[in-house]
Amino acid sequence: MAKLFIANLKMMVRGRQALFWSLAFPLMFTIIFGFFFGGTKTSVGTVAWINNSQSPLATNLEQAATSAGLFSIQKETDLATAKDLLQKGKIAAIVEIPADFGLSKPGAPTQINFINDPANASANATIEGFLSQYLTNVNYQIQKAKAIYSVKSETSTNNNLNYFDFVLMGLIGLALMNSAVQGIAIAMAKYRQDKILKRITTTPLASWKFVFAEVLSRLVLNLFQVSFILIIGVYGFHAHIIGNIFLLFLFALLGGLLFQTIGFTVASVSKTEDAAQGMSVAITIPMMFLAGVFFPIDSLPSWLFKIVQYLPLSPLLRMIRQIGNQNISPLSNPSNIIIVGIWIVVMLAISIWRFRLSDE
Amino acid sequence: MEKVIIVKNLIKKYGPLSAVDNISFEVNRGEVFGLLGENGAGKTTTLEMIEGLRKPTAGRIEVLGTDVQKNLRKIKEQIGVQLQSSAYYDFLKLREILNLFASFYHKNQNPDDLLKMVGLESKVDQYVRNLSGGQKQRFSIIASLINDPEIIFLDEPTTGLDPVARRNLWEVITKIRAQGKTIVLTTHYMEEAEVLCDCIAIMDKGKIIALDETHKLIEKTEFPYRVEAICEKENPKACAEFAKIGQVSNLGGKKNNISVFLRSKESLAKAMKILDQYNIDTFSVGRSTLEDLFIELTGKTITDEENDNG
Repeated sequence: MAKLFIANLKMMVRGRQALFWSLAFPLMFTIIFGFFFGGTKTSVGTVAWINNSQSPLATNLEQAATSAGLFSIQKETDLATAKDLLQKGKIAAIVEIPADFGLSKPGAPTQINFINDPANASANATIEGFLSQYLTNVNYQIQKAKAIYSVKSETSTNNNLNYFDFVLMGLIGLALMNSAVQGIAIAMAKYRQDKILKRITTTPLASWKFVFAEVLSRLVLNLFQVSFILIIGVYGFHAHIIGNIFLLFLFALLGGLLFQTIGFTVASVSKTEDAAQGMSVAITIPMMFLAGVFFPIDSLPSWLFKIVQYLPLSPLLRMIRQIGNQNISPLSNPSNIIIVGIWIVVMLAISIWRFRLSDE
Repeated sequence: MEKVIIVKNLIKKYGPLSAVDNISFEVNRGEVFGLLGENGAGKTTTLEMIEGLRKPTAGRIEVLGTDVQKNLRKIKEQIGVQLQSSAYYDFLKLREILNLFASFYHKNQNPDDLLKMVGLESKVDQYVRNLSGGQKQRFSIIASLINDPEIIFLDEPTTGLDPVARRNLWEVITKIRAQGKTIVLTTHYMEEAEVLCDCIAIMDKGKIIALDETHKLIEKTEFPYRVEAICEKENPKACAEFAKIGQVSNLGGKKNNISVFLRSKESLAKAMKILDQYNIDTFSVGRSTLEDLFIELTGKTITDEENDNG
């Protein structure tokens, strides 16, 4: 059986297509999401900054805006040019500081202009919030007043989690699902079509050993998948993993097992390789969107949420996120592990009942 | 002689359909036994029941003294199976496949020796997909020899091969037989069965309709002798004479081509006289073939269609 296991690994590496789907595909997603949402601070976009004033206040404001890192700054001199850029969508907003702003001489302007695109609400709120907060502080200083009431903000976990951290855990689930469901279903259907399964049954090798070697070699692949995704996410795009890595891998393997049982079920009901492929795509693609890989599913309509929260991937992702994003026990809400357990038992039962290496 | 396979009253039903309908036969050690018949006659089903791949509906199968239903694992150690149109792993090299299959058995033959035996020693580090059709079949056969089995089963080993590749494969089968192994094969090529098999069972619609040593089987035909004559022009008179002593047929459709099937040596002598009498110089005298017997028994010619459950 050890030889079969090693042969399986060899074939996986040589069969580049399988390797692409299970490694390159999720890594591609990781990199794309990393570029969009990764990084320690999130910039909301570029602001065209037109400073017509020589005052210290105007200079300080510009310095503060640059170092805050909430948005990047592109210096402009002409308002018309900047407006043109805004219309073309090349910048998120324009900040115009009028001449003499901040100078204490009569008739000097006291307002700066914030010109924005109403479609870009979140960027507007961030930029405007920054500007008004800065100016409010300046007002206090000038009036020698102290702020009495303020907001003390606290994030839900001890680390600054962002959307990329959320989606990274989702991508781990996605990778496990794709490689295990499609990998097993297509490989087994092909083996059946080519009569390799039947050929195996002509030898004294016990069927369970054949299946076991197959499962084991796929779990090894899963370990590589999760490692690669984590390495690229953490070292390439500054993702935060706050939980226990060992636990994360353990539950990833649990997920691998879960999806392999689904793969065997698909293989046992599909006659040809093409049918297996079609069926596994029909299972994995909807699950990718409905089980919360890319966005939290509780934002779905409640009737839909009530259904999709029981999809195999949903509870697995909840547990993986509890480990990776929240550092709480994946068993804190036992319903998740119970749902996964039930899926494994049901799929395993169908596979044992229907999956045969050869027909009677 | 030692019986290595005993099949008794074997039946396999799929619903109301009898794929194998109460057949019995025995195979002696060291012989080449052929199951001959059309696609769908039940050859493969019979073979796969003996190999333990399918469960019989009724009947008894004993292989090397062991009941197939009782100790299949023990039998699997001692037999080699080549499946009909089976493929091997895409991403393993020939030697790797043989080593992998070797690991499933207690007893092994050296993979390199086997590859050498069928002239594939230069392909050890190639993938199966890079082999020609004939090479694939030869590889498939040696893969079934990896455990040095006492009996090997070859299911239509030559179907779909060109004549040269087919003859190459006959040589391989002859070599295996020379090693003292028993070979059970299915085929729908009559001349192949005639060349290779010591003993033949002809199957039709799930039944064995003839079973004997090959030469005896052919002698059993109603018309064991055959004369073929080619006249210069149409010769109805000669045809009429021939019709008196045997059966005249014009199978090829060529007008001047006469085939005469004869019952006995005496009529053969008469036929020679008729040839002399009508000055027919282009002729051949031969024995009837297995194909003639098959047509006689089933009333039809065998077809070469591909069919998975042959």
